[in-house]
Amino acid sequence: MPDAAIVAEDLRFAYGDRLAVDGVSFAVARGEIFGFLGPNGAGKSTTIKMLTGQLDPDSGEVAVLGMRLPGDEAAIQGRIGVCFEEKNLYLNMSANENLRFFARLFGINGLDTRPLLERVGLADRGDERVNGYSKGMQQRLMIARTLLNEPDVLFLDEPTAGLDPVSARAIRAIIQEEAARGAAVFLTTHDMMEADQLSDRVGFINEGKLLVIDTPENLKLEHGRRQVRVRQRKNGEIEDLVIPLDDSGAGDQLRSIVGEPGVMTIHTEEATLEDIFVEFAGRGLDA
Amino acid sequence: MSGSRIGTMLGRELRIGPRSPLVLWAFVLPVVMTLLIRGVFGGLFAPEPRLGIVDEGDSVLTDRARELDGISVSVYEASDDLMARVEANDLDAGLVLPADFDATVTTGAPADLEFFVGGESLASNRIILAVTTLDLIRGIEGIAPPAEVEIVQLGEETPDLTTRLLPLIVMYAVAVAGAFVPAAGLVEEKERRTLDALLVSPASMNEVLTSKGALGVILSLATAFVALTINGAWSNAPVVMVLGVLLGGVMMAEIGLMLGSWARDANTMFTAFKGGGILIFFPVIIYMFPDLPQWIGRIGPSFYFLNPIFDAVAGNAGLGDVWGELVIGLAIVLALVPVVAMMGRRLEHTLATRTG
Repeated sequence: MPDAAIVAEDLRFAYGDRLAVDGVSFAVARGEIFGFLGPNGAGKSTTIKMLTGQLDPDSGEVAVLGMRLPGDEAAIQGRIGVCFEEKNLYLNMSANENLRFFARLFGINGLDTRPLLERVGLADRGDERVNGYSKGMQQRLMIARTLLNEPDVLFLDEPTAGLDPVSARAIRAIIQEEAARGAAVFLTTHDMMEADQLSDRVGFINEGKLLVIDTPENLKLEHGRRQVRVRQRKNGEIEDLVIPLDDSGAGDQLRSIVGEPGVMTIHTEEATLEDIFVEFAGRGLDA
Repeated sequence: MSGSRIGTMLGRELRIGPRSPLVLWAFVLPVVMTLLIRGVFGGLFAPEPRLGIVDEGDSVLTDRARELDGISVSVYEASDDLMARVEANDLDAGLVLPADFDATVTTGAPADLEFFVGGESLASNRIILAVTTLDLIRGIEGIAPPAEVEIVQLGEETPDLTTRLLPLIVMYAVAVAGAFVPAAGLVEEKERRTLDALLVSPASMNEVLTSKGALGVILSLATAFVALTINGAWSNAPVVMVLGVLLGGVMMAEIGLMLGSWARDANTMFTAFKGGGILIFFPVIIYMFPDLPQWIGRIGPSFYFLNPIFDAVAGNAGLGDVWGELVIGLAIVLALVPVVAMMGRRLEHTLATRTG
């Protein structure tokens, strides 16, 4: 990938005898949203830590924005934004104080916090201490903090976990805006709908191994069942009819069914990302 | 290492410091200890004897009384005012010197002298002031006393108890502000995971530790200076005292950073501070109990900043007298720098590999 913002090659890391990340390789382009999916303990957080310079891999190579890790931590960390799964704001400071403090660490003096806070819907609450914020407000502030240096790469670990639908939708919109701006987005989430909706490509990781990388569309096409399920009422009883789309007479059969009066619903049997993950990993994401 | 980032983190600590009960406690503790010690062992509630004088004739006795150490002398214009103040216990005693007092005493003629004592004044203060007044009059008279009293000191001279307890107060001030505040701050950042957020910004672990250590040094300097001031302990060698406090602040900050890096949570840190605190506090016992072998104090690193301060206060020691101890203290501080850095790296690895 010539314009890769993140390159990981054969990454390995073990906690003692337990191999947490086992030969993981991938690349993420600028402007791409890459969904990194896997159950708890699969190796997602360990991978993020190696990509953000928090943890040195036992072996393998990492390059972020063309700079190497380990080695260029300070330069890389100045150009990335990391949003942690757990809230880690200074609770006894206001939102404005939190943002200005971190901005100064990035060398940004006199940050105008209002545009950032407006973006996450907290413009009127900027002077309040964070310990009075709801979880959703804290998460939105975490996103604002992640964006304050206009990062070239965003690492978002479960950014919408536990949020109300309105906050989650706002954060998803911001993620898409950032990708449109040209930032590479490395996203971990348990929400398969979210991953499907946001990600240009997804990678499945399980027990430290990267199982597959592809676009959600390709995965669903390759691993879904090409068939249509028709539910209809016949002689007072409800019946399900499955029509394989690859059959030669499938088109005629569908046309004739659509004209029948007892048809209740017609659904394609497209696989979900979760179905595909189970197919690859032999377990669900919540396992 | 970026001075700007260290300054930013230090500035945040100083700004939110007043919101922290721990920082307030660090400032209050030496004051409370001073009041407690002085209240129990005397000093605070036993002020020096207070003598008021109405001098109608410009007597040399007034000047000589003012030159005395340990007695507070005030001069008044009118005897009515003086008597009112003695009666109100603003003064322990009052003296009215007539216009011709010195001339009368010098000729050997009997002189009239009114000496007022307050009904609420301490008996000890009345006696001190009466005897002192007689001595001063004898000095004006120019006649040798009927007997010379030879004062013979038995046993080694030791400072009074409040002075001997000063190292304890200074130690508390420096240890709580210098060690405990940075340690607690570091543990809190670990527990709240704000340290993770700092470490994925351009700030490094060494910068974080330096800012927290600097906070400890600044606070320990401030609290120690407050403690020395309210104890009236500034000696003729302020340089020694400032160097001693500075050395103590840095040493304690390093110990605090090691403790904060090592402790996995606040409970562990409190337990370690309570249990291990004896190792840094024990040199103060040699001042509290001067009969103990004094060499045992030298085992503790805190001796090398406490002793110069104590010698300056109790013995008027100068830089030339205590430089050896200060150099050893500096060597300990320098030796701890790589240990702090190593523990910081260990902490960084612990944070990166913790789960959940």
